[in-house]
Amino acid sequence: MKQKKKCVAMLLAGGQGSRLSSLTKDKAKPAVAYGGKYRIIDFPLSNCTNSGIDTVGVLTQYLPLVLHSYIGIGSAWDLDRLHGGVTVLPPYSETSGLRWYRGTANAIYQNLNYLKQYNPEYVIILSGDHIYKMNYTEMLDYHMEKKADVSISVIEVPWEEASRFGIMNTNEDLEIIEFEEKPKSPKSNLASMGIYIFKWPVLKEFLEMDDKNPESTNDFGKDIIPLLLEEKKKVIAYPFKGYWKDVGTVVSLWEANMDLLKEETELDLYDRDWRIYSANPNRPPQYIAPSAEIEESLINEGCMVEGIIQHSVLFQGVTVAEGSVIRDSVIMPDARVGKNALIERAIIAPGIVVEDHAVIRPSKEDAVTLFAGEES
Amino acid sequence: MSSPMLGIINAATEFDTFETLTAHRSLASLPFAGRYRVIDFMLSNMVNSGITNVAIFTGQEIRSLMDHLGSGKQWDLDRKRDGLFVFSPEGHSEIERFGSFAHLASNMTYFLRSKQKYVVIANCYTIGTIDFCQILERHLKTEADITEVVHNGKSLQTYILSKELLLSLFEQYKNQGYYSILDVVHDKRHQYQINRYEWTGYITAIDSLSSYYLNSLDILQPSIWKQVFTKEEPVFTKVKDEPPTRYKKGSKVTNSMIANGCMIEGEVENCIIFRAVKIGKGSIVRNSIIMQKCRIEENCVLDGVILDKDVHIGDGIELKGTAEAPYVVKKGTVQRGVHHS
Repeated sequence: MKQKKKCVAMLLAGGQGSRLSSLTKDKAKPAVAYGGKYRIIDFPLSNCTNSGIDTVGVLTQYLPLVLHSYIGIGSAWDLDRLHGGVTVLPPYSETSGLRWYRGTANAIYQNLNYLKQYNPEYVIILSGDHIYKMNYTEMLDYHMEKKADVSISVIEVPWEEASRFGIMNTNEDLEIIEFEEKPKSPKSNLASMGIYIFKWPVLKEFLEMDDKNPESTNDFGKDIIPLLLEEKKKVIAYPFKGYWKDVGTVVSLWEANMDLLKEETELDLYDRDWRIYSANPNRPPQYIAPSAEIEESLINEGCMVEGIIQHSVLFQGVTVAEGSVIRDSVIMPDARVGKNALIERAIIAPGIVVEDHAVIRPSKEDAVTLFAGEES
Repeated sequence: MSSPMLGIINAATEFDTFETLTAHRSLASLPFAGRYRVIDFMLSNMVNSGITNVAIFTGQEIRSLMDHLGSGKQWDLDRKRDGLFVFSPEGHSEIERFGSFAHLASNMTYFLRSKQKYVVIANCYTIGTIDFCQILERHLKTEADITEVVHNGKSLQTYILSKELLLSLFEQYKNQGYYSILDVVHDKRHQYQINRYEWTGYITAIDSLSSYYLNSLDILQPSIWKQVFTKEEPVFTKVKDEPPTRYKKGSKVTNSMIANGCMIEGEVENCIIFRAVKIGKGSIVRNSIIMQKCRIEENCVLDGVILDKDVHIGDGIELKGTAEAPYVVKKGTVQRGVHHS
């Protein structure tokens, strides 16, 4: 007997990630490479699979081709299922003409039919922009236990950084009483992670309500949450403890990669009970030449290393010729580094060729440079 | 355009010189080169030659091989039209040698249903890149009955012939005493035109423990692995979701091939390391083949060793073998550590 879905996920993967510069010149932010092997979207997708959520709508928008071909029918994440599985939802023309998504809430609103076909009990809304491991079922259990209409996952951030985030002000019961986007004087340090669990009827009702308002920017944080609070709905905060990184800038993407090289990493990629799935590149094993010296690094399959790699991340298919030194850097898939080059505190974009004797390092100390070919 | 050839792999061959490596698995499913099984090379050659109809004839040990092949999806052979077929022996007593005509003939339906006109027959333990399209082209041009592929004059036990001829050979096998194509080719009385195609390029066969060990270490030479692993003709295999390999503080790796998912804190020299292997601090591993999910704890010294899957070597253990006689540790063995005071 076909069972009604308890929880369907809607994964917002339309972001442009403009602050990632040339890394998002040909692909949306969730398709950007991370961690020597993965793309950012592998994390929310794997979290769904490992949490037992087998029905995921992925909402794309900006430059979706790379993301669409990457996701395919979802087999890599065990989401090629008979009932449910992954469905890519690009923006499509409605009867009133082609409409680009106006805001995050509008993206979901335009795909209400997808949700209606499953008529689930709950909907979890995720973003494809963050690196983290989370069991969504635990959040759902919490949501059900508290009998909430909406649960929002929050994480404590350092007070001095709070003004960079969407901050949730709560009462002692962790009920949300106010939402402030990037407040200059934050009243709380609980940042929204952009993960929402809604009772399906509540989501439907409020998306429809918000859509009727011509003044609205149709954004979850700016419009839907205040509307819910106005209508006295029970909106609670789900406190999350664990590694969570927004990789929206070149520096933060670099930092997130460097985090994997710490002696004790906060994000464990080797946990067999919570595997991070991805479309495996299927290359030969990495070859470490007699001339190679490797220290404290992460290296993926298909690499050929003849040089010196210190505290760096090498993605699949990277070649590093003899005499080259790579330090504190992230070398993305299929990049080729010639002989006697020096690369420090850099991200080398996918497929880029670094010529012999090149020197790539940031001009300012403590900065990070992105190298995407001679013209950048 | 689909290939006019169907592929047959004889995965029934066994040699008894592999010690415990083939105690509970067929030669075809013997792990090789860090992330593959021996059969992946010939199977990939067929797929890369455009062949979409492949039949594998197995021997008695099939569990490991079936687990590896699955539906053939990883080799792009999970198809509605043709695809991968696996035939295991059905306990017929008159089949004296598996892979023989008798074995093939007992699955006649497969041959009758297949639409391809030509057949390429290969063994499962040849390593190297072979393009069957080139060989078929020559076979057709020369109008040979059978084309035998050789390397440095030595037969690779790989043949191309028409399906029609193969079926007629089945008919004749009982009458003329031919048990396999090898018999046909070696019989001087036959009336068939047999051509030899010399395949240049790196080829080797894994037919003994010694050749397994030596060929594994040969793969470490760029001049060789660049011929075995090419971008244009990738070797397909069952893929696992392993994270990149971590080289931690204290690790020193040189002249080795390392698969994914490993955590290395020790020294590795001239080795093939399979996926998800842990090598602890202070350990030295040289001239060895360490298969998937082995754990080598701290301060060990391993030289000339082959560890089968899931072996756990405790602290301070020293194991030594030689190129002529590598020290083989059986799958799943746990060796308790020694502690030097």
